[in-house]
Amino acid sequence: MSDLVLSATQMEVKRERSAIGSLRLVQTACILVIALVIVSPLFMLLVASLKDDRFQILADMGSFRAFWVSNPTLSNFAEVGNLSGELAYGRYLLNSLFILACTVGFGLIVNSMAGFVLAWGSLRGRALILSVVIALYVIPQESIIMPLVIMVSRAGMTDTFAVQIVPWVASPLYIFLFYQFFAQLPKELFEAAEMDGASVFRIYRSIFLPLSLPALATVSILMGIEAWNQYLWPILVTQTDYARPIAVAIATFFGQDSIYWDRAMAASVLMMIPILALYLAFQRWFVSSFVGSAVKG
Amino acid sequence: MGKRLLQALIASAALGVVMTHAEAKTVIQVMHQGDPGWVTTYGDVAKRFEAANPDVDVELIYAPHDAYNEKFSAAVMSKQLPDVMELDAPFLANYVWSGYLQPIKPLIDQDILEDMTESNVAQGTYPIDKELYAVGLTDSSVVLYGNRKYLEAVGARIPKGVDDAWTREEFEGYLEKLSKLEGVKWPIDTFRGYGIKTEWITYAYGPILQSAGCDLIDRKTWKSVGTLDSDPCVNALTMMQKWVKNGWVVPQSSGTNQFFAEGHPAALAFGGHWIYAEAAASMKDDIVVMPLPKFGPKGVSPNGTWIWGITTASEHPDIAGKFVSFMLKDKQYRDYAKEDSAYPGLKSFAADSPLYNVGGPMAVAFEQASKTAIARPPHPAYPAITSAFMGAVDEIFNDGDVKAALTAAAEKIDEDIEENDGYPPFDDQQ
Repeated sequence: MSDLVLSATQMEVKRERSAIGSLRLVQTACILVIALVIVSPLFMLLVASLKDDRFQILADMGSFRAFWVSNPTLSNFAEVGNLSGELAYGRYLLNSLFILACTVGFGLIVNSMAGFVLAWGSLRGRALILSVVIALYVIPQESIIMPLVIMVSRAGMTDTFAVQIVPWVASPLYIFLFYQFFAQLPKELFEAAEMDGASVFRIYRSIFLPLSLPALATVSILMGIEAWNQYLWPILVTQTDYARPIAVAIATFFGQDSIYWDRAMAASVLMMIPILALYLAFQRWFVSSFVGSAVKG
Repeated sequence: MGKRLLQALIASAALGVVMTHAEAKTVIQVMHQGDPGWVTTYGDVAKRFEAANPDVDVELIYAPHDAYNEKFSAAVMSKQLPDVMELDAPFLANYVWSGYLQPIKPLIDQDILEDMTESNVAQGTYPIDKELYAVGLTDSSVVLYGNRKYLEAVGARIPKGVDDAWTREEFEGYLEKLSKLEGVKWPIDTFRGYGIKTEWITYAYGPILQSAGCDLIDRKTWKSVGTLDSDPCVNALTMMQKWVKNGWVVPQSSGTNQFFAEGHPAALAFGGHWIYAEAAASMKDDIVVMPLPKFGPKGVSPNGTWIWGITTASEHPDIAGKFVSFMLKDKQYRDYAKEDSAYPGLKSFAADSPLYNVGGPMAVAFEQASKTAIARPPHPAYPAITSAFMGAVDEIFNDGDVKAALTAAAEKIDEDIEENDGYPPFDDQQ
C-alpha cells in the first residue's frame, strides 16, 4: 500500500518536474527569440559596416545575406575615422564625446542638487516648485525649440559647445528622479547630520550623494543617450564642424540622390560604442534603480 | 619669472596681431547640402577661392538634405541667414516673396549669365518681376529607363526621341506584358523608396498630371480646387493607383535600386538623370534611355534642381557673387558634377558633357529640357502645394479614394493661399 502511495507521489513529482522543465524550455525559447529580435539588427549593422559595396548592402537587406559578409573590410572605418578635412568624422565623434561628458557631468550635479533641495531643503513653496517641475516635463522639446534657437542666437552662443550643453543640463525629469530617490531615504540620516552641525550642502555631498549611486547611474544613462542622440538641435544651432556632433555628420551619407550605406553603417557602429560602454559601466546600478523603484512603488 | 611673463606678453601680442589680421578678412557664409562627395568638393572650391582672394574667408555651413528647411527656418528666425545659399528651385518664389533673396544678375559674371540654358534661367527667375534670383551649374530631368533584354522579350518599341515617346496605351500594355515575363519581379520602379519627405513625388509625378491635361494648380487663377481634383488628374492618379494595386510598381519598402540591383528585378524605371551612372555601370549595354511617355495630349518632363542664391542679409553681396561665379567656372567642381552624371544647366557644361550631347546615351534627357520641361508652380505657396500633393499621393497609393484625396489636397492649398491673402501681388495676376 505504502509502495503504491510512494509510487503515486513519485509520479506526481515527476509530472511536476516535467511540467516545470517544459515551461522552462518554452521560457528559454521565448527569451532566445526576443534576444534574437533585439540583437539581429545590431549584428546586421556590424556585418554591413564590413562590406564595401553600398549597393550590395542594400540588395542584401531583404535576405539572410544581410547577416553574412564574405570579404570583410575595415575600409569604411578608415574612411570615417578622419580627424581633419571637410569630413572629419573622427573629429565629430570627439565632439560628441565632449558634449556627452559635459552634459552628463554638469547634469548630475545640477539635477541632483535641485532634487535634494526639493526633498530636504527648507525652501518656501517647495511643493509648488515641484509641481511646476513635473508640469514642465510634459512640454515636448520640439515645441520650444524655435524660441530657444532665437534665445541662444541672441546670447551669441551659436556654433559653440556650450549651446549644445547648457540648455539640456537641467531637466524636469531628472530633477524629479533625484527628488523621488532622496525623498525615500530615512529622515533620521538628515536629522542626525544636521544635529552634528553639517550644512545642507555637506549633508548632500557627504551623505546623500554617495547613497544615490542607482539614481546617478540611471540619470547618467538616460541623459547620456539623450545627449548622444541629439540631431535637430545641433543642426539648428551649429554652423561649422567646430562643435558638430557625429549624429549630424552621419546625415551627410544620406544625400539627395544617393545613400552611402557602407560608411553610414561604419559610422553608426562607431557611434554606438561609447553609449554602449556607458550603459555597461552603469548597468548594475541602472537595473537596481529600476527594480528598487518597482518594489517601492 | 620675469622672463616667463615677458614670453607670455610677446605671445599675447603675436596672437593679437594674428587675430587682428583674421578679423580684417571678409567672411562670407555659404549654406549648402549634399552627400560626402559634394561636401568635399565645396570645401575644395572654398579653399581655391580663398587662395585666389587672400582677403576673404569662406565659411561653409552644411545642413543635411532632410533637415535643410528646418535649418533655413532657424537661420531666418535667428537672423543668421548666410551670404550664399543653396536652394531647391521650386522654393525660389517663396523665398523671394518672403524677401530672403536678392536679384543676382548684377552680382554674377556676365559670361555665366550668357551661358545659362533656358531651363536654368526659368528655374532661377521670379515670375512677378522677371528678375533672376539664382543660378546653377546644373538642372535636372526624369526619363524612362528600360532593360533592353526585357523590352526585346515583350517586343516593345524603343522610341528614337522625345517626339516618338510611348503613348499611355503602349506604356500600360508593356507594363502588363512585363508583369508576366519570367525574371521580372516588378514591371516598373517609380522610386517610391524616396519616400514622402523628399520632393520626388511632386517633382516626378507632377508631370504625369500635366501630361494627362491638368496640373497641381491653375497657373492663371492660382486656385487648386477645380484643377488638382479635375477629371484628368483623378484619371491619372487612378491609373497610377492601379499600377500599385496590380503589384507592377516596386514598393516603398524595397529601396531605390531595384532597376539595377543584382538580378535586375525591375524592368523599367521612372528615374532621375542622376541614377544613370550607377545603372549603366551595373547594366552595361542593357540600359535603354527613353523619353517619358505621353499620358495625354502632350509629353511633359520635370526640371529644376538645387541652385545658388544670394540672400538679402548679405553684407558683401559683391564678394558672394564673385564666389558663386568662381564656383560655377571651377574645373574640379565641374569634373565632379560630370562624374555624378549631372544634368547641364550651362551651355559650356553641356558641350563638355558627352553624356548629354547629341548621340550621347542621355541625349533624350537633354532633348526633353527644350521640348517638354515644365517647372513646378512658381508660386510662394509652393511649400503648401508640394506638401498637400505628397500627402494625397501617399494616401492614394495606400488604397485611398482618389477624388477625395485630391479634393482635400486642393482645398488645403487654396486655404493656404487664402490665409496669406493670395500672396500679393500673385493675387493680381489672374
